[in-house]
Amino acid sequence: MVSKSKIMLLVFIQIIVVLSLWQWLGGGLIPSPGKIGVRIFEIIKSGDFWDNFFMSLSLTLKGMVIALVIALAISYLSLIPFFRPLAKFVIKCRYLTLTGLIFLFTLLTSDGSQLKLSLLLFGIIPFFVTSFLSVIDSIDKQEFELCSTLGMNKWRTLWEVIIVGRLDQVFEVMRQNFAIAWMMITMVEGLSMSEGGLGTMLIKSNKYIDLSTVFAILLIIFLIGVFFDYILGALRFWLFPYTKIQLRDK
Amino acid sequence: MTYQKHDEILRAEKVGLTYGDKVILRDINFSIHNIVRPDLCQGQVVSLIGRSGIGKTQLFKILSGMNKPTTGAVLIGADMHEVKEGEVGVVSQNYILFNHRSIRRNLEIALAHNDKNYTEADKKSIIKDYADKFNLSEHLDKYPLQLSGGQRQRVSILQQALTSNKFILLDEPFSGLDALVIDKVVDLLLKISTLDELSTLIIISHDIENSLAISDTVFIMANQPNKQGATITEKLDLIELGMAWNPEIKKEHKFQEMVAQMKYKI
Repeated sequence: MVSKSKIMLLVFIQIIVVLSLWQWLGGGLIPSPGKIGVRIFEIIKSGDFWDNFFMSLSLTLKGMVIALVIALAISYLSLIPFFRPLAKFVIKCRYLTLTGLIFLFTLLTSDGSQLKLSLLLFGIIPFFVTSFLSVIDSIDKQEFELCSTLGMNKWRTLWEVIIVGRLDQVFEVMRQNFAIAWMMITMVEGLSMSEGGLGTMLIKSNKYIDLSTVFAILLIIFLIGVFFDYILGALRFWLFPYTKIQLRDK
Repeated sequence: MTYQKHDEILRAEKVGLTYGDKVILRDINFSIHNIVRPDLCQGQVVSLIGRSGIGKTQLFKILSGMNKPTTGAVLIGADMHEVKEGEVGVVSQNYILFNHRSIRRNLEIALAHNDKNYTEADKKSIIKDYADKFNLSEHLDKYPLQLSGGQRQRVSILQQALTSNKFILLDEPFSGLDALVIDKVVDLLLKISTLDELSTLIIISHDIENSLAISDTVFIMANQPNKQGATITEKLDLIELGMAWNPEIKKEHKFQEMVAQMKYKI
């Protein structure tokens, strides 16, 4: 087995090689890494960037929290047969395109902030519910049988097996879906540009064919996403230490 | 060897199971009595032996109250009421535990649902005692996935022993374990069976030698010629035969002869 430090070294060397080749052999339409790097520093130094960054981040986090609550409610309710069709319908909503619903959401919401939040929620809740339901469906029936042999009632079984017993997986679903939310945020902000955000910055730069800025913003968005992915992963191991053992066993 | 067979504590009465046209189990009748030995706390260890695929797991689920038989009933307790899910402890073949709880907390949850109202101090002391007795003290703060298969099985058995259930069903407890670990499991089961006068272990297995070595009564499950569905074809009273409660029984010639004969009966 290759050690983690060796993998990191390999990744570092490969990035250096790719960036060097890009820098020396590039020069066409796509700006060189050097130009993008310089632009990143300029963007970060400007006050505008931080306003847009916090706007995007706060909208993503707000959307994640609300989506998590709604998706968990739908998923837990799906255990009652009456609510199963609702959960099934929400899952299928993954195939609905947001673009076609902008007009409807514009009518239903009172300002740009609400519009973006609604679109974000509509976009990510079906993915959350899909993942949560697959977690619930994969529970071994014998865990429920264990609860009954230990004399637990149905509520206690629900609490022990589905809620507390799967909290680590809920966290993992949240981590994976943060990527979807983060990717979607730029699209949503592009649809309603009234309050700014990284998505708005990206659309404006695209409009003026300012490719150095476009690539610089893309890279910033990418790095922030990777950073949050790492933080949420580390947080999962800290909150639920047994998950580290499970992963190591695999 | 002085002993007495007291009241019936479990009875399977004309138990049958059918799926569509397919008869899985047919007319299963057997009973388990409370065995009393003077100056000893002696529980019961009963084995149901049959070859793989004969319907042992189906009978296991019926005995535990998880599944209802198509005909007949399983009656337990002093009042001989029909068994309900939760009244019989179950140790499955893959030793299911709560992976998000440490071993200590897995045992605590069993005590929490014991019908005796233990104080927190009592619970701590009981878990400590049991962990010491069953060599689990050093593992109490570990998670189930950090233990070996044999250790997980011990925790699983102990967890069921800590509930107020007097009956514990064990599905293939010797399966996939090496000889050394099997000896430890046998030792553990014998200890569990003597924790309470009414403790009753029901082992469902295809491992003839180990099941016989630990049991006081053995029921053989098999198919009969020209009849669909498995049933109990023979009962062996190992106490009468002088083969029960003897830790060295495996070394005896007559025991090995019996094991050899049994292979043709299942």
